[in-house]
Amino acid sequence: MASFVIGRLVRAIVVLILTVTFVFVVLRVSGDPAEQMLGDQSTPEALAAVRASWGLDKPILEQYVLYVAHVVTGDFGRSFADNRDAFAVIVERAPKTLLVTVPAFVLSILLGIPAGVLAAIRRDTPMDKAVMSGAVLGYSVPNFLLGLAFIFMFAVWLRVLPSSGSSSWQHAILPIVTFALTSAAAISRFARAALIEVLDQPYIIAARADGIADWEIIIRHALPNAAIPMVTMLGFVAGGLLGGAVFVEQVFAWPGLGSGFVRAVTLGDLNVVQAVIITFTAFMVTVNLTVDVLYAVLNPKIRLQNNDPG
Amino acid sequence: MTCYAIARILPRGVAQTGGTVAFNWEPQGPAKEAQPRTAMIFQDSTSSLNPVHTIGHYLESSLYRHQGLRGNDARLEAMRLLERVGIDQAKSRLRCYPHQFSGGMNQRVMIAHALSVKPALLIADEPTTALDVTTQAQILYLLEELKSETGMALLIVSHDLGVISRLADRAAVMYCGKIVETAPIDVLVERAAHPYAHALIDCMPTVDPKDMEPPTPIPGSVPLLNNLPSGCHFHPRCPRATQECEARFPEVASISADHQAACYHPVHA
Repeated sequence: MASFVIGRLVRAIVVLILTVTFVFVVLRVSGDPAEQMLGDQSTPEALAAVRASWGLDKPILEQYVLYVAHVVTGDFGRSFADNRDAFAVIVERAPKTLLVTVPAFVLSILLGIPAGVLAAIRRDTPMDKAVMSGAVLGYSVPNFLLGLAFIFMFAVWLRVLPSSGSSSWQHAILPIVTFALTSAAAISRFARAALIEVLDQPYIIAARADGIADWEIIIRHALPNAAIPMVTMLGFVAGGLLGGAVFVEQVFAWPGLGSGFVRAVTLGDLNVVQAVIITFTAFMVTVNLTVDVLYAVLNPKIRLQNNDPG
Repeated sequence: MTCYAIARILPRGVAQTGGTVAFNWEPQGPAKEAQPRTAMIFQDSTSSLNPVHTIGHYLESSLYRHQGLRGNDARLEAMRLLERVGIDQAKSRLRCYPHQFSGGMNQRVMIAHALSVKPALLIADEPTTALDVTTQAQILYLLEELKSETGMALLIVSHDLGVISRLADRAAVMYCGKIVETAPIDVLVERAAHPYAHALIDCMPTVDPKDMEPPTPIPGSVPLLNNLPSGCHFHPRCPRATQECEARFPEVASISADHQAACYHPVHA
């Protein structure tokens, strides 16, 4: 178990280093940052001055070494756009994103898993069909479209909730619900499939033959097994929420990392783009690490890999 | 399927439409309400054990459910059961998971679990199919011992006549879901009346050096259960079939006091 976790930790660090390198290379070869900042009408002198002040005139390898050294200490450089510390932009915007994604994630689990379990237990009944139709609908509609539909319904038509901004807690409701519904749809479909797969296993038949009550079979025998693939799936959903933040924050003008990322890309604000990508990656790596560890905790076949008492 | 009905584990979409279970010569009412203590062991022991539960958890929760034992009492009894079915170092084995055991050991665990029910009837659904021959022999020996030790009845389902003739007193031959012949096992082997049962016995390879003839196969293959032939289901493959066999399923007829067969043209009549 310990060696398994250490192995995954090393892998996570390698992924982070590779991402830092990759981001650096891609962004430097995709165009001249100085030109992107000043526009193509700028004078050569102005371009040279910008390059000198941002260190862009140094050899690329030196730029990379300097960059990595800075990243390790949490220094992502200054924003080209407003000369603020790039990391400060992250620190300012990340809580806003978490304010939407974390409740959305919790809500989608609270909605999705019971719905999927119910559909699996009442398989092929009208209940199952109703839940799964809802899930297919929620799964098929893109989250930005659902967001726009909600703005139209609750802000324009019913006038009960604000449409955009982040000045009060009511502003968070629509983004959270938009996120939660699309994720809950995916979770419920997966939960249903995972549970049905487990319910068809011979050990469930054996448990029934032993006269164990149906609810006890579901809770004690089926769900612990279905939880194993579920954890992997929830990791994807958590990652998807962050990717989806780019769209949903844009729709609701929510000043989180996603809309910050879009803004930085539009302005050619390289240091902020890099900082956001690395933050996203760090988040994804943490999620994956958590998934791996939980997976091992839930699955005795992984947990006991290296100490076989047999 | 009949056994699944007795154990009340019919699959989805299948309902019991009738029939009773008689046990110890006393009908137990419609099988739905029948409450003899039954336990069941299955073909594939490893996948019949829940992979996230330890062997100890499996046995102890069953002991609690069927005998009300808990805590240390349950652990001691679980250890005793494991030792009874031939698993040593029972104490440390209780902490193991099914994937750490071999198929034969898992089948022993299943049997230990069956014993925790203190069953009057143990249904063994092809208990040795997935095991190699030596393990098979050990499991059969164990079942034989436990049968005489606890006095429980053993209903064994198998297509291996060797297994059956070793364990069974009486055998019922089934073809396409219907019992076609019942008899004490030695009578069945010697004088099978139904052509299907007869052909099955003929299929058994022998170790007799004088009999070097290859086993006789049954022509054709088993029909699909949703498209059974009319009358006697065996008639398209039966050398003795007549028009009568095609028209109606034969009544069960007694050949001797404890030997019945459902055939118009029994082999040894």
